[in-house]
Amino acid sequence: MIRLEGLTKRFKQVTAVDNVSLMVAPGEIYGFLGPNGAGKTTTIKMLAGIIRPTSGSIFIDGLNLLKHPIDVKARVGFIPDRPFLYEKLTGSEFMFFMANLYGFNGAGREKRIQQFLELFELAEWAKELVGSYSHGMKQRLIMSAALLHEPRVFIVDEPLVGLDPKGARLIKRIFTRLKRSGLTVFMSTHTLEVAEELCDRIGIIQKGELLAEGTVTELKELAGQEAPRLESIFLHLTGAETESTEDIGFINQKK
Amino acid sequence: MKVLTLLAPRWWGFRNDLFFGGRRSLIKAGSLLAVAVGFWVGIYVIFYRVLRYFQAVEEFGDLLAYKLLTMVYLTFFGLLIFSNVLVALNTFFLSQDLEIIHATPVSIGEIFAARFLDTLVESSWMVLLFGIPIFTAYGLVYQASPVYYLGLVSVMIPYLILAAALGITLTMILVQVFPAQRTRDILFLLSVLVIILLFFLFRFTRPERLVDPDAFANVITYFRALSAPASPYLPSSWASEAIWPLLKPSSISSGFYQGFLWINGLASLVVCAFVALWIYPEGWSKSQESGRLLAGRFLGLVPKQLRPRKTRRSQTLTLMGKDLKFFFRDNTQWSQLLLILALIVLYLYNYSVLPLDSVKVPTFYLQNLIAFLNVGLAGFVLASIGVRFVFTAVSGEGFSFWIMQSAPVSMRRLLWSKFLLYLAPLLLLGLILTIATNELLQVSALMRWLAPITIFSMVFGITALGVGMGAVFPNFKAENITQVATGFGGLLYMILAMGFIALVVILEAGPVYILFMAQARHHSLSFFQWLYVGGSILLLVLMNIAAVWLPMRYGVRKLADYEG
Repeated sequence: MIRLEGLTKRFKQVTAVDNVSLMVAPGEIYGFLGPNGAGKTTTIKMLAGIIRPTSGSIFIDGLNLLKHPIDVKARVGFIPDRPFLYEKLTGSEFMFFMANLYGFNGAGREKRIQQFLELFELAEWAKELVGSYSHGMKQRLIMSAALLHEPRVFIVDEPLVGLDPKGARLIKRIFTRLKRSGLTVFMSTHTLEVAEELCDRIGIIQKGELLAEGTVTELKELAGQEAPRLESIFLHLTGAETESTEDIGFINQKK
Repeated sequence: MKVLTLLAPRWWGFRNDLFFGGRRSLIKAGSLLAVAVGFWVGIYVIFYRVLRYFQAVEEFGDLLAYKLLTMVYLTFFGLLIFSNVLVALNTFFLSQDLEIIHATPVSIGEIFAARFLDTLVESSWMVLLFGIPIFTAYGLVYQASPVYYLGLVSVMIPYLILAAALGITLTMILVQVFPAQRTRDILFLLSVLVIILLFFLFRFTRPERLVDPDAFANVITYFRALSAPASPYLPSSWASEAIWPLLKPSSISSGFYQGFLWINGLASLVVCAFVALWIYPEGWSKSQESGRLLAGRFLGLVPKQLRPRKTRRSQTLTLMGKDLKFFFRDNTQWSQLLLILALIVLYLYNYSVLPLDSVKVPTFYLQNLIAFLNVGLAGFVLASIGVRFVFTAVSGEGFSFWIMQSAPVSMRRLLWSKFLLYLAPLLLLGLILTIATNELLQVSALMRWLAPITIFSMVFGITALGVGMGAVFPNFKAENITQVATGFGGLLYMILAMGFIALVVILEAGPVYILFMAQARHHSLSFFQWLYVGGSILLLVLMNIAAVWLPMRYGVRKLADYEG
């Protein structure tokens, strides 16, 4: 469903994403992990068609994103890491706006909008300006809008940032449900428990390079250790394990 | 020391903008500096010439120069108070960094001191910039000694402090009554209405009559009013009273008013600090609570076809509807329509009072010449409106631009939707300006058709140039959309739009003259004249097409490549 071939992105002297190739099968939830500045968001932005790769190709649902951007985007639901929205629209207007933008004119669209607003507990606020929403509410509104047009691929950058435990549990339930209905999810996250719980396969990126990918079991084998949790594997593979032994005693040191 | 620390980010930000922004940033700074120097020189020349002229007027030349000085100080004071209120709303209540600052172990007194200085600098630099050439002109015309320039510094410091203290105190009190966001809206609307009122008051007094010798009887009455003393309670009067004696060689002491200004300046600062320490913490806390705004205000002004909700419609109409809603929900946007309306009224009023009969040129010829030049002038008005609304249209997407980038919408469609949205009102405005002016001037049949057709075709270029250039120079991170219009891209748009308008007028001038003279003398055109007219029209058509096609195409390409 998603195929990246030699994907590279350079910003002047810096190579943010370096020759990344991977495949995500239909109905699969793929977790994209990496430390800060590893190139996760840049990869996601390229997948969403927001920035262009310096070289390489992106295929979604068999279509080349660079050659058919509009067709590909119509099949994708995208959620960025920071929920910037049109603050002068109401929640409900934003949903109708997105429905029109994505050409979602199917039967029962009003009902579906209402259902999403209720599911994400926004119905009560539907007639209020988005500018008055909290961070979590904006995140939930984006999530509703991204699912509205029945995308085949869901691209999410940090899905749980800013959500309370109830919201986070709802998102996890939705992802599981989407997977069962055959939707492909590509998500980046820092929450390793979520990745472990939800993802079928995980890719670990560092300094723009894909270090490793596979199921959690495969990654354990690759790490060559009996690591009980993904966190240990992640720290081992990214070389961050050694840093954790550094002396942090100075923090509470009296002058 | 904490006050300096609190002020540091502003200075560092300015320095980083300049030195780490690369060549583009330096070019921008250089261009803005060039514009500022241009203004500076312009203001200096105007004031120098006016003051020289006043000096040549016997008896009451000095009186005029003195009155002009009081008017300058009064205008500056009004501007300062207003700008201090607006800036203080930002620095004390709305600025994004306040949340972090209030969470740090810094006392309210220190925050007040830092923000006071911030407000003082931000709202005073413009007045200083425009003031320096004016005061220099005064000094040079009156051949003032260095004492004048020292006195000027000594007067300006308490004068600026006084205005800042008054403005900030007023803001502190206003925020107690209204939420900070609403206060800004109300002030903005009030300012627009006040500007309109002032425009009308000034224009309807018809100052041009003062150069008419027939109206001299009125001038005597005018001078009687001039010699009346200005209000002794206004700080602007104290400032002019303190400065004026220093311009004269046999000066009486200006010490009293200088001292008066300093005492009042410092006293106002103390009062302001006292008020701030008393009510600022509560006001800041209140400003954090005002979140919910009711939607739907002014939605009635949006045409039904473009209203949101349940209609299923094309992407273009959806995008246009969204932009229209934004416009009517943003008080700072729609209220400027009032300014434009006032501008139209004044524009047409000017034409209605043109003293054409008193000029020794055949009226018929003059009327048509003015009507022709009016096409260029109307184009200039449209470009000025274009830079504020059309050029900023793309940047208006703001941080939400990612929605357009990730949605199945081509940048071409996005830009053309904006083009279509702004084309209609600009066409209407252009036609009103030309047709109404033609009616007022009673022009020939040729001009009656030519002016509206020219402006009609020109509006396409002016709009496309605005949308296209706005896409080439987008600023999705601007806190205030007016910053976008006054930036480098806006300046370039104005230059290109003016160039385009000038080219159209120049290209049309020749053929229009030939046609007009042939009509006036009842001649028919020769073959070569027809060729010239036809060639010019063809060139005009091609130029108009290029003015639409090129910027839009370039804008689409640049926006598609935008990576923020």
